[in-house]
Amino acid sequence: MSHPQIVVSNLSKTYRVPQRPPGMRAALRSMVRRVTEDVPAVCEVSFRIEAGEMVGFLGPNGAGKTTTLKMLAGLLHPTGGAATVAGFVPWERDAAYLKRISMVLGNKSQLMWDIPPLDTFRVLAEIYRVPPVEFRQTVDELAALLDMEALLTKPARNLSLGERMKCELVAALLHRPAVMFLDEPTLGLDVSMQRRLRGFIAEYNRRTGATVILTSHYMIDVAELCPRVLLIHHGRLLYDGALRGLGERLAPFKLIRLTLDAANGSAPAADHLPPDAEIVSQENGGLTLRVPRAGTPALTAQLLSALPVLDLSVEDPPIDAVIDQIYQEGAV
Amino acid sequence: MNPRGGVALIKATWLSWMQYRSFFFLLAFSWMIGPLVYLFVWSTAAGGGTVGGFTRGQFVAYYLILILVNQLTIAQTNWTMGDLIRGGQLNRLLLYPMSVAYNTLASELAGKVVYLLFVVPVAAGLALVLKPELHLTLANALAFVPALALAWALSFLWGYWIALLAFWMTRADALVTVEAAFKFLLAGQVAPVALLPDALRALATLLPYRYVISFPVEVITGQLDRAGLLTGFALQLGWLAVALGLYAALWRRGVRRYSAIGG
Repeated sequence: MSHPQIVVSNLSKTYRVPQRPPGMRAALRSMVRRVTEDVPAVCEVSFRIEAGEMVGFLGPNGAGKTTTLKMLAGLLHPTGGAATVAGFVPWERDAAYLKRISMVLGNKSQLMWDIPPLDTFRVLAEIYRVPPVEFRQTVDELAALLDMEALLTKPARNLSLGERMKCELVAALLHRPAVMFLDEPTLGLDVSMQRRLRGFIAEYNRRTGATVILTSHYMIDVAELCPRVLLIHHGRLLYDGALRGLGERLAPFKLIRLTLDAANGSAPAADHLPPDAEIVSQENGGLTLRVPRAGTPALTAQLLSALPVLDLSVEDPPIDAVIDQIYQEGAV
Repeated sequence: MNPRGGVALIKATWLSWMQYRSFFFLLAFSWMIGPLVYLFVWSTAAGGGTVGGFTRGQFVAYYLILILVNQLTIAQTNWTMGDLIRGGQLNRLLLYPMSVAYNTLASELAGKVVYLLFVVPVAAGLALVLKPELHLTLANALAFVPALALAWALSFLWGYWIALLAFWMTRADALVTVEAAFKFLLAGQVAPVALLPDALRALATLLPYRYVISFPVEVITGQLDRAGLLTGFALQLGWLAVALGLYAALWRRGVRRYSAIGG
């Protein structure tokens, strides 16, 4: 059993936010006495992540994902609980710790705007003490992987969003971090650029065994990269496990898609349906039913015998729909 | 601390800033205007005689050196650091295994080089035309070096601690405007400190502003006797210690607060 790379126990963060009702009177009053409100952003979250794992953080906006990442990267002090990453307490911000991690914020650039990325990389290499030989190797290797050699010498401000993001990733990986926090790395990118970056992140993880925590609102990022997901909602950890398992656990039903022989058997299909099955959609010959997960095999047999079935498939509900349901209802 | 990373950052910042030469040249020019106006006012007032012991040529020398010193010591920390805190870019810097102060120091030093590319030729040109009168002694020249270095350090740290107020207040700029007024009045810009009325002169001697700009100029132009020199250095060092203390305390508390509320 290897040592877990990240251990988080009962981690909590409560923000104190100034409160002010609208209006002049309230504005004047707040100058004298400030009223604040405690807003819990993360509540007693616990999990462990092994070295080399790729884990996706899921949750709606404001769920506490970024707050958790920022605590793990040492940018925020928690209000409760404990965490160690690579054996360090993140918020002590030990230089040795900062050299082992990297954080990509999809909406904040670390490239210096007016100079070519290669110059920014050189500065980073000095900051992180990357030896020159290793620096050249890493840049060549990463630039080849991302097919971006031509971008290295253009000023950063002349790059497109996608090109800049490629450079951001290289910048974040120059010092070969053992732990990477990727907060919305594909934000605003087109599908093929997203796919390219995903492939790159997977490849980096495979080559170096780095631990990766990723947040993204694009479900496909998480589905393709992360065998394991942590679902956070209202600051609480609702689920920790495989993405596939999330569907099974959260959606206690399956979808049965039927294609019926319209010429044969004129009776409306609804008449033959077992009481547990619920029609989701029905259009010329096609029928989609929602059935309880446990009863699926029996129901399938029943349908096959009762209806003129041309084709039948059993599916899990789309993960997006499941997640949306959780976001709306706020519970698993 | 990580000085190697700091040096690399300074070089890169300088490269970035060179892209905006004309902007910085204009900025440098705007900072010259005040002292230039008073150069002409006082040298005209002196005419063929003296005002408060200064001849026309001495006023010219005083103000030309003041222009150079002002450009060397003027602090931009309030803009660079304050913006980083307000804009949340501080997060990025906190992730580096390097002191955040390097970033501010980098823009500070990068800026100086760019300004001097403009100011030195201009001041040299003015010197050729206006014929300054400077009796330079070796002792004064030697004393000028530490006075200037300390003036820069004081200016940098003084500006930095004020910039750090951005952790608590959204706009600490108002304070900077007040400071600018003090600097104008008490740091030898409107008139050499020696020419100020007694009460103002006492105030100028006590407050930190003189030690950021005019003290090194007074040193090199030989306006100070031995006692004045020693008091000056003592006060300059004292204020530097105060600025350093304030910077350290505010930085510690500020980062704690920043990491409590998030950027």
